[in-house]
Amino acid sequence: MPPSLSLFAPYGLYIAGAIGAVGLFLLMRPAAARGQMPVRALGAIIGLAGFGLLVVEVLSRIPDVGGVPVFPTLLGLIAVAAATRMVTHNKPVFAALYFIMVVVSSAGLFLTLHAEFMAFALIIVYAGAILITYMFVLMLAQQTPSGGDVEGGTQYDRLPREPVPALAVGFIMLATLSDALFVQSPELRAEASSAQLADAARAQWTALELMPKRIEREVRRIEPATQAIQRGDGGRLLDVTADGRATVRVMVAGDNGSSQPRDVELPASAMPTNTQLVGLALVNSYPASLELASVILLMAMFGAVVLARKQAELGEDERRDAAGMRRMSLDDPDMSRGGRA
Amino acid sequence: MTSAGVHQLFVNIATVGGPSTWIAPPDPKTLAITLLVSVLLFAIGLVGFLTRRNMIMMFLCTELMLQAAALAFVGFGRMHMDVSGQVFVIFILTVAAAEAALALGLVVLLYRKRETLSSEAWSELREDVK
Repeated sequence: MPPSLSLFAPYGLYIAGAIGAVGLFLLMRPAAARGQMPVRALGAIIGLAGFGLLVVEVLSRIPDVGGVPVFPTLLGLIAVAAATRMVTHNKPVFAALYFIMVVVSSAGLFLTLHAEFMAFALIIVYAGAILITYMFVLMLAQQTPSGGDVEGGTQYDRLPREPVPALAVGFIMLATLSDALFVQSPELRAEASSAQLADAARAQWTALELMPKRIEREVRRIEPATQAIQRGDGGRLLDVTADGRATVRVMVAGDNGSSQPRDVELPASAMPTNTQLVGLALVNSYPASLELASVILLMAMFGAVVLARKQAELGEDERRDAAGMRRMSLDDPDMSRGGRA
Repeated sequence: MTSAGVHQLFVNIATVGGPSTWIAPPDPKTLAITLLVSVLLFAIGLVGFLTRRNMIMMFLCTELMLQAAALAFVGFGRMHMDVSGQVFVIFILTVAAAEAALALGLVVLLYRKRETLSSEAWSELREDVK
């Protein structure tokens, strides 16, 4: 459906993207000298306007369910602004620091999407490990500033290469992706149906089925007099209904020492947490990929060692050894025939 | 800010799209903003890769594009209420770490040969366009 709030429907997304591209182009200009027009400040304002228009355009395509999401929009603004500054900054070290800002704000976005484990794993691995490697190499390969270096940064860091074609490519990428996501796919704008929610709930209980200790803990919290948990059909602990509720049959101590069966319904808080689900999916659904990932890391380690190692100068003897030839020596009778083995 | 305040801030951020269980229905607006940010980060990373001359910056821009892909993975995973998207982010992290190790090893090697990080120092590697 054509959105009512959209400003330039149906081209609003592309116009907003083009405005953002113009802003980025101005931000890439070399910093203005004193007294000239502040091109970069102008670019920042235009880029901000482009981002705001994009947000309005995208939100206006969604049927109204609650207000504007404040935290995601703020975090997204920080991420995009830091990414822009990273791409346009003259000094690579500062650009790497801005990239850390991108990582932290997208970790915040992960939190709004209930991906708690990945949010903190991202900060630890990206901001903590990978970026430190980058900083280390940046310091290692630091350029000594040559003459006339006032504004900081080397010549090749100050001047962008072919900004106009690059921005055209970036704009086409932006327009294509946003068209695919926000125009062509109506299911993105719909709220989850109750059938989808029930499916997701059943998937969660299926995951909990693999954690018998957690089931027992939850059951004992609800029914402290539990003596034993009974397995149902097929040895299952949980009895999951079609609408996504789970019950456990337990034996409870009765009045006169006998035990009687009782059904305990598990609350939604008994569902596995995000970290448990990620760990379970990792080892239960993708074990081969996990092994492959470790092989990739090992190979990368070997590769880095081989690449970064200082090339040792081989002497004549070592080179002959490597070629499978006999070492040269003066009292070798074969030397008269060229020294071949 | 006290530690209780910080905790409350995290709880506030984490409960924007509804109650703090994974089963809560995803908020389409939060999803849309996430995907928009992901698209923008990817486009900015692409532009950066094409315009920067510093080899380290070029690799940093690929990391930005990987980051955008990770955001999209988590966003779509939330949309389908499935954790597979987050598992793929773990593999993205693996690939990013491997790439950082290899690419930076390569950059150090190239820097030793030419004493500059500019990618144009190696422009004779391309085929001559007549």
